[in-house]
Amino acid sequence: MADGRAPAPVLDLTPAADSYRLWWTELRRHAGVLLVLARKDFQTRYKRASLGVAWAVAVPVLQGAVMAVIFTRVVRSGTGSGYVIYVMGGVAAYSYFASVLGTSVTSIVDGAALTDKVWFPRVILVVVPSLSNLVGLVVSVVVLVALMPAFGVDYSVRLLLLVPAIGLLAALVTSLGLVVSALQVYFRDVRFIVQAALMVWMYLTPVIYPIGFLHRLRIVAIANPLTGPVSLFHMATVGSRGLWVAPLVVSLSVTAILLVVGAEVQRRYDRLFVDLL
Amino acid sequence: MSPAIEMEGVGKKYWHLTEQAMLLKSILPGAAPKKEERWALRDVDLVVDTGETVGVIGHNGAGKTTLLRMLAGVSRPSEGHIRVRGRVAPLISVGVGFHQEMTGRENVLVNGMLLGLTRREVASRFDEIVAFSELEEFIDTPVKFYSSGMYMRLGFSVAVHTSPEILLVDEVLAVGDGSFQLKCFDRMRSMQADGTTVLLVSHSIHAIRLLCSRAVLVHHGRIDFDGTAELAISRHHELMSTPVGGGSVDGSGPLAGSAQEPWISVTSRSLAGETGPTHHLQPGERATYSVRLRFNERVDHPRFVFGVTSEDGTACYVMQTRVGLEWRSFAAADELEVDVDLSTTLGGGTYRFTLTATDRFGRQTYLHDVGGLVVYVTPRLGSAGIADLDAHIKASGDDLTAHEPLLIEGKASSPGRLGDAG
Repeated sequence: MADGRAPAPVLDLTPAADSYRLWWTELRRHAGVLLVLARKDFQTRYKRASLGVAWAVAVPVLQGAVMAVIFTRVVRSGTGSGYVIYVMGGVAAYSYFASVLGTSVTSIVDGAALTDKVWFPRVILVVVPSLSNLVGLVVSVVVLVALMPAFGVDYSVRLLLLVPAIGLLAALVTSLGLVVSALQVYFRDVRFIVQAALMVWMYLTPVIYPIGFLHRLRIVAIANPLTGPVSLFHMATVGSRGLWVAPLVVSLSVTAILLVVGAEVQRRYDRLFVDLL
Repeated sequence: MSPAIEMEGVGKKYWHLTEQAMLLKSILPGAAPKKEERWALRDVDLVVDTGETVGVIGHNGAGKTTLLRMLAGVSRPSEGHIRVRGRVAPLISVGVGFHQEMTGRENVLVNGMLLGLTRREVASRFDEIVAFSELEEFIDTPVKFYSSGMYMRLGFSVAVHTSPEILLVDEVLAVGDGSFQLKCFDRMRSMQADGTTVLLVSHSIHAIRLLCSRAVLVHHGRIDFDGTAELAISRHHELMSTPVGGGSVDGSGPLAGSAQEPWISVTSRSLAGETGPTHHLQPGERATYSVRLRFNERVDHPRFVFGVTSEDGTACYVMQTRVGLEWRSFAAADELEVDVDLSTTLGGGTYRFTLTATDRFGRQTYLHDVGGLVVYVTPRLGSAGIADLDAHIKASGDDLTAHEPLLIEGKASSPGRLGDAG
């Protein structure tokens, strides 16, 4: 059945895991699938909702507004005029992190039907939520930037930091997803641990208040890898509020470690997950 | 040309956990969940040449699906080596590989890409795919609203349009209406003719017989037989009719002693064809099915019912003795031989011959020999189906009746007369 396409692939399977080289080649070969799946994931999420993609923006904006009202009017923490922007940036970053992690933890298990008979690197399933949620994040960041003057925050060149901020955030959550999604296949209680962690995690991260607010728990916030990218969001919009270099270093190192561990786990167990699904 | 599929000493081991692993338990020392290993497949050597069609048969849980999974690259063998050359399209049972929330159209794109097409290739074949599936009206409906038949039609359609070099088929023809099944058969045959390698896993002996010249019998995780489809099917039935743990050689139901029949027990079953005792009948052959019975209690005026069921449980034939006649009574320990003379008008396949005894009103069942005797009927060359009508096709006076197996030209090796397999 020669139809002028690339030569037929040869599948060689032995008990040993695929080599890094092969694994990487397969990953690249399936990049198109990743993009299509991510797009479909995004579309199907909002397609059947009447307001559509607007929800992707409305949720963090609304959340930011609520938090801002609570903290400026009720708690009266007095963090200044840029506080609304501060909260909205933190909430946008955190909701991306939470929704991606919440989905990716079960991505391999949920994707069982999709990969039961046709093989493609399962990593793709894990990366899909990171990509599809990125649209919502970018849109809410754009809205946030547009709202800045209204809350008395001037634009500055620091806004460029939003790019590495988003990059680091996505890298962190994806790397973490690689690890937890593999664990979830073997231990079905991992997703509940993740859910519980996501509830607490927000308060140990300077999402709605600066690190200083945590007093003695500061050290936890600094060791928290999520503090790095979230602080970058704040840096980019309202300027520095407390420590950010140390958290950034922590975040970069944790991401790198998780990425290496996660990729290794995924490579090694890729064609074995199916046995447990 | 190198073979499309090579398997060398392949085995697949599963850890059978007595309970789902729990994070806490596996971390705590000494509390690791109990697990035992199970080999789903062991020592499998299989070579399938390019362009060949091979059937895979075996009872449920024999390891057929595990085999296909490994060939599709989804699962890794625990030992041995597998090499598959060529683009593989797995044709899968209901609804696998589809995203519930996405429409038929979107699923065609994703599925096509997963099967190795580029986005553009899918787009150019899209109309063809939809036309083949006959789902034009529903193509923009999310597939979660599809019936299982629609699901299968779309899945089959995408897979065959990706022009795969190797087609792995798993029970796919079990769903869908008759006309679509025929369409699938036709399509698979034309792909065979085009040189596509096909591995067909099926419980449908008819499908195996129609499409495969060679078949592999998987039994308890090992390849028990590899040869012509007819011999493999015959061997399969032999294994199915042998009770687990050996014992009865001539039938599948329990004989006297192995089960307590309250009123009547079967002491032996046998079948005699025109050439003597046998389990294989030729179409048109006269035969006698004999069942020896022993009465355990007094039974008055029994009525006998002879039945034939096909492998899928269809009642092919039921016939009873005269009603209302107060024939005779039997005392405990009496013996009786019941002979059923018959003419083999069954199509090729496996059947069970059963005998039931009731009181003359049919209210009380004295004997229900469900297992009965497994009988294999060799198909008439050029025909398939449950009945043998001994048809002859004539056109302008010429008898065009086929005298070769109902298989694709050039790929069929004549199964010949059926000998004893294994």
